[in-house]
Amino acid sequence: MTKRIILAFAALLGAVALFAQEPTGGVKGTVVNRNGRQPVENARLLLMQGAAEIASVTSAQDGTFLIPALPDGSYTLVIEAPEFLESQVQVTVNDGYVKNMFNLSLTAVSQVAEVDDDSFAAFDLDDSGYSDNPTILFGSNDVFNSIAGYNFSSVRFRARGYSSESQEVYLAGVKLNDAITGYSPFSLWSGLNEAMRSKETVNGSEMSDFGFGGYNGLTNIFGTAGEVRKGLRGSVLTNSTLYRLRVMASYATGLQDNGWAFAANVSARLGGNDWIKGVYYRSFAYYLAADKVLNHANTLHFAFFGTPGERGAQNASTQEVYDLMGDNMYNDNWGYQNGRVRNSRVRKTHEPIALIKWDFKPSDKFEGSATVLYRFGKNGYTALDWYDAQDPRPDYYRNLPSYYYGTINGEYVEDLNRNNPDKYLAALNQWRYSDMYSNLTHLDWDRMYNVNRMQSSGRSRYVQEERRVDQRDLNLAFTFKARPSDVVTLNGGLSARINRTEYYKVLADLLGGEYFVNVDNFAERDFSTSPYKTQNDLNYYLINGSAEVLHVGDKYGYDYYAQVRNYNAWLSAKFVAGPFSATIAGRAGLESFWREGLVRKGLFPGLAPNGSKMVDPLTGETIEPTYEADGSVTTSYGKSKVARFFTYAGKANLNLVIGGNMRLYANVGYFNDAPKFNQVFLSPRTRNSMVSNLTTTKTFASDINWQFSGSGINVRATAYWTKIWDQSKVMSAYDDLQNAFSNFAISGINERHMGVELGFKIPTYIVPNLSLQGVLSLGEYVYTSTPTMTQTVDNSAETVMENVLVPYWTKTVLADGTVRQKHYVPSTPQTAASLGLSYNYNYWFIDADVEYFDRAYLDMNPLYRTDYAVAGLDNTITDEEVIYMTTQEKFKPAWLVNISVGKSWYIQRKYQIGFSLNVKNILNNKDVKTGGYEQTRMVDNTASKSRYYRFDSKYFYMAGTNYMLNIYFRF
Amino acid sequence: MKKYFIAIAALAAVVSCKSLKEEWDPVFTGKQPDAAWAVPYTEEQLQEQQGLEEITAIADLKAMYKNKPLPILGNIWIKGKVISSDQSGNIYNEIYIQDGKDANSGAAISLKLGKGSLYNEYPVGTWLYVKCTGLTLGAYNGMIQLGMAADETATNEYETSYINLQSIIESHVFRGFQDTAFAPVSLTEDALKKAITAGGSDNVWGKVVSLKGCVYGDQIFALFYPNSNMAHKSGNPENRVFLSDKGTWGVTTWSCTKDGYIGYLQDGCWDEAEVGSGATRYGSILGTPNQYLDADTAAKFGPDAYLTYKEIMIKYAAANYISHYFNLGSTSIQVRTSGYAKFAASQLAAGILDHQPVTITGIVTLYNGAAQISLVDDPSISVVFD
Repeated sequence: MTKRIILAFAALLGAVALFAQEPTGGVKGTVVNRNGRQPVENARLLLMQGAAEIASVTSAQDGTFLIPALPDGSYTLVIEAPEFLESQVQVTVNDGYVKNMFNLSLTAVSQVAEVDDDSFAAFDLDDSGYSDNPTILFGSNDVFNSIAGYNFSSVRFRARGYSSESQEVYLAGVKLNDAITGYSPFSLWSGLNEAMRSKETVNGSEMSDFGFGGYNGLTNIFGTAGEVRKGLRGSVLTNSTLYRLRVMASYATGLQDNGWAFAANVSARLGGNDWIKGVYYRSFAYYLAADKVLNHANTLHFAFFGTPGERGAQNASTQEVYDLMGDNMYNDNWGYQNGRVRNSRVRKTHEPIALIKWDFKPSDKFEGSATVLYRFGKNGYTALDWYDAQDPRPDYYRNLPSYYYGTINGEYVEDLNRNNPDKYLAALNQWRYSDMYSNLTHLDWDRMYNVNRMQSSGRSRYVQEERRVDQRDLNLAFTFKARPSDVVTLNGGLSARINRTEYYKVLADLLGGEYFVNVDNFAERDFSTSPYKTQNDLNYYLINGSAEVLHVGDKYGYDYYAQVRNYNAWLSAKFVAGPFSATIAGRAGLESFWREGLVRKGLFPGLAPNGSKMVDPLTGETIEPTYEADGSVTTSYGKSKVARFFTYAGKANLNLVIGGNMRLYANVGYFNDAPKFNQVFLSPRTRNSMVSNLTTTKTFASDINWQFSGSGINVRATAYWTKIWDQSKVMSAYDDLQNAFSNFAISGINERHMGVELGFKIPTYIVPNLSLQGVLSLGEYVYTSTPTMTQTVDNSAETVMENVLVPYWTKTVLADGTVRQKHYVPSTPQTAASLGLSYNYNYWFIDADVEYFDRAYLDMNPLYRTDYAVAGLDNTITDEEVIYMTTQEKFKPAWLVNISVGKSWYIQRKYQIGFSLNVKNILNNKDVKTGGYEQTRMVDNTASKSRYYRFDSKYFYMAGTNYMLNIYFRF
Repeated sequence: MKKYFIAIAALAAVVSCKSLKEEWDPVFTGKQPDAAWAVPYTEEQLQEQQGLEEITAIADLKAMYKNKPLPILGNIWIKGKVISSDQSGNIYNEIYIQDGKDANSGAAISLKLGKGSLYNEYPVGTWLYVKCTGLTLGAYNGMIQLGMAADETATNEYETSYINLQSIIESHVFRGFQDTAFAPVSLTEDALKKAITAGGSDNVWGKVVSLKGCVYGDQIFALFYPNSNMAHKSGNPENRVFLSDKGTWGVTTWSCTKDGYIGYLQDGCWDEAEVGSGATRYGSILGTPNQYLDADTAAKFGPDAYLTYKEIMIKYAAANYISHYFNLGSTSIQVRTSGYAKFAASQLAAGILDHQPVTITGIVTLYNGAAQISLVDDPSISVVFD
């Protein structure tokens, strides 16, 4: 890829030299694919002056063209190419010079692969410990990614089984993966498809010009004004799974003669959908950007964008609930308020980004760019909170028939100690006739308001909180490319990140009450005689003598800064010798993070600033600190210890081009990465305590690839083998028994990922313009180590379990050593295949594909894989218990059929209008699980008092037949 | 060009017309109108809508119980004023209601609703109408309660079960208007003795009473299960520890929170407590299951069998109830407080320990032929010096 650009560039430079003597003017440039910058061969370039056709040429294999011998004047250059949208630009020839248009980018006709990241972002359940973030495959320059990216997105496919944190996403040269979680940041620009369309992607451990990258590819989104398609564009889109309407407009001037380029993009996404009630959008997006070419060597880019808005979230539920409701898309987040649907979990965000980028190219042998990027604003997620009141969730386990008649796999199990036929039938009816009991099968807002209004004190029992994660993220990046000789190209860069993220809660709605109080509900139950222990903000209490009375907009609960500092330097050297090229690269960095508590939690008071114990002035009670395992005082207020990591990585690539169309290449890489902030702090909401035995994660990744591209044939085949060591993870799940978050810190997770990828698009040769296309991803992603687990509860200094082995993490193994089941890395099908036909003619495209997915597994809860859980109450491990407790659920295989059709028309060469219609899951397959998690609780109230039982797992399902219709036009 | 615009406009119209209100404003984010909240039921409404014909006195309902669970089949309704609150956490999962013109008349019964934070919806003084049809009348230690039919499980030992399910509660319990609360019934020692003699049928049981002149009896009673997860019924004496017959065992709080429980153990207050129950006594909690038990029984404790009972108790610590004995004249009364009560960790006032007479107010129940009081409110309100 990089090489092709270099070749194109070299050709261009050659052309400059060749035609420097030409006395008359002309126009030249390179036609490239907007997505991936690949040269476009055989594009027809038509030069018009008014209605008169002046000249017509075709682009060469490297995309270059030249229209010589032109008199001075203004022209219109129309560019047409098969499978691309027609494009036109204005060009002025002055003083007999050949005007260099540089890259003229074309957009592929099939805008099929427009995957909306919103369909992924909805799986963020911060109450369950489960999160599943998007991995979006980009790149029409890669046949595997372009087919898999679209067709596999609905099952949340992850390339090579890697987690989404490993996919590096850059904007304007700055790595923008979340500083705290590492998650890919697509939601920051969702709805700005036009502005962010232009991007470049590499796969696996390949090297990119924009950064060192990891082992799961790197995508750089250009995001600058000059990269936005020129002209005025608009589109109207409707779809049936996310929002009813998206309207979008963009305008870009392209580079003007005065050296300025401007671009703007706005959009709105509104409405509900056909599949998940309560999910809605009221999201907007804006983007403003300008480029200024200062001189031939220096260009400045400015951009400012944001996506203010809100959307209702979806929640997972158990199969029992789905079956009772007859709907696998049931969402327990919403309920009726005064007859209207209201969602309790609404994401409300506005996180603008401002960036300035300076590109400089002092000579043909050196170019560089420097970017300053700042992210700020708010990111909120509402949730219900309650004080001394019943759990309002409709599918709370005590509201379900299974609580009154205990079964496992449909069979009554006496040991579960649940058998009350009257209540079972009543519960069954309540769910089966959910229309009659909509106040019980959905949230009952009216009841919550009533309860609040019945309180003579005015103190709300139910409130809506907004959990805020507000980032201040300053990024500096510098990259350069130098060509000291014809055989060597150096790439390198420096980056710095200063991130301060504030986590806190805001009281969002009193739901009819008058106030709320900043105390810890759980602590109050246990320590009501020590009022200081119940304080969420002990300092406030010590000064004012009582807990803070809260009103809408007040901060409460917890409040802390996650501080992250990150400095990196990288360098790569590429050596070219004929058809061979080799690249070696290295990266070194320093990463540090710490927590800074902004409130003093009563349960973890620490000591006064002078080092002495504090005293509760009201009760005279000494405020006793709690202690860490190492004997130090547990603190909640102020700065924690700083976790520091030295990180480094190395990569090597070998590349052989055979006969112009074929490429054989291999990559290896070793990465030593710091854990993320959220993998380091045990209970950051309440205290500064860190996971013990912190270490870096090590990864060895290797792949070998064969690629063929030519004569309309595109094939890539890859084999990969990757080993990851010492991963850690903190899962936080809301435990309604404790009325608090329970935290599971797991460390020492090793994984091995290996498999093959194949992608191809081949003309059928029977029917013109009809191609056969397909992808196959066959992998084995397994756990290879026995990790350890530490369990803590937010509201207690005690460690529930400390560094307990999780012996059944990698497999279900019986007492005699028989391996009953191997356990797999979850949340993506390990077998995924697609086969289809693609027809493309005269601006029509039709794609029809059949998909097959298998070997997807449910996310595992470490607790169920401990001896403690397996042994049960009688402390005896039996094979039956091992099988029951530790088996990992494998999802059923699924077949899907997708069809896309589209066409665009040109009107008087001035306007363009087109549509694309994508219909997914035509078989209306409604029982495809796309994810889920195991709950972290166990049934212990059994008859035999000998064993534990699991709580039912919760799942997400894919929507049945759904469509997306996009109508776009250009003036 | 025009026709394309028309086509786009038409399409946009089709897309948007489905139901503008529903589609573009699919969720409610505004304010709840003031009027939209539950109005209490009147008897007339219940007659029209729910088939109420006649109100049965609670005393008459309780009289229907004849030593075995009674599923109520006929159209029987009772009404009563809420007299208990679970706000302090000492009474939970149930509410007591009482009928009659005043506190002294009528009778009280416990409704086993099986939910927490009931005081939010059923504050003291609220009239409740209860459609008894489909519910079950049963007794627990002589106290008659209204709940659902008992669980049909092998381990069940109760005559009724909690109602639990909101749809059953909503079709049986109807909230009437909010009235002033009944005053506590003042009970003399003589009246109390008379009620104890009369047994479960006396109408005082379940009411809120005030007992004037109570003096601390310097004795407590508690039963602990060293590993609360393991079987701990009377057939498992190896997992039972009683605190009785030896004064107060160092307990100075109304009950035992989890922290309190650990604290008393660590302070050695209970070191002399014996493992076992009934005639089976093993030895003090400073011994281990391995020492006391046969191999099979000790094995139930797994690796914990090597720990002392005291260590096991600390490992599986949980909040636990405590009963404090008071004397009203010559009659002994237990004040039983849950370890989950918010005042569980409150100290008994110094004057109480010094045997100053107090008036105790709470729900009076009959437990194994003795009077037992459950404080409804914090002791600062419910236990006052005379």
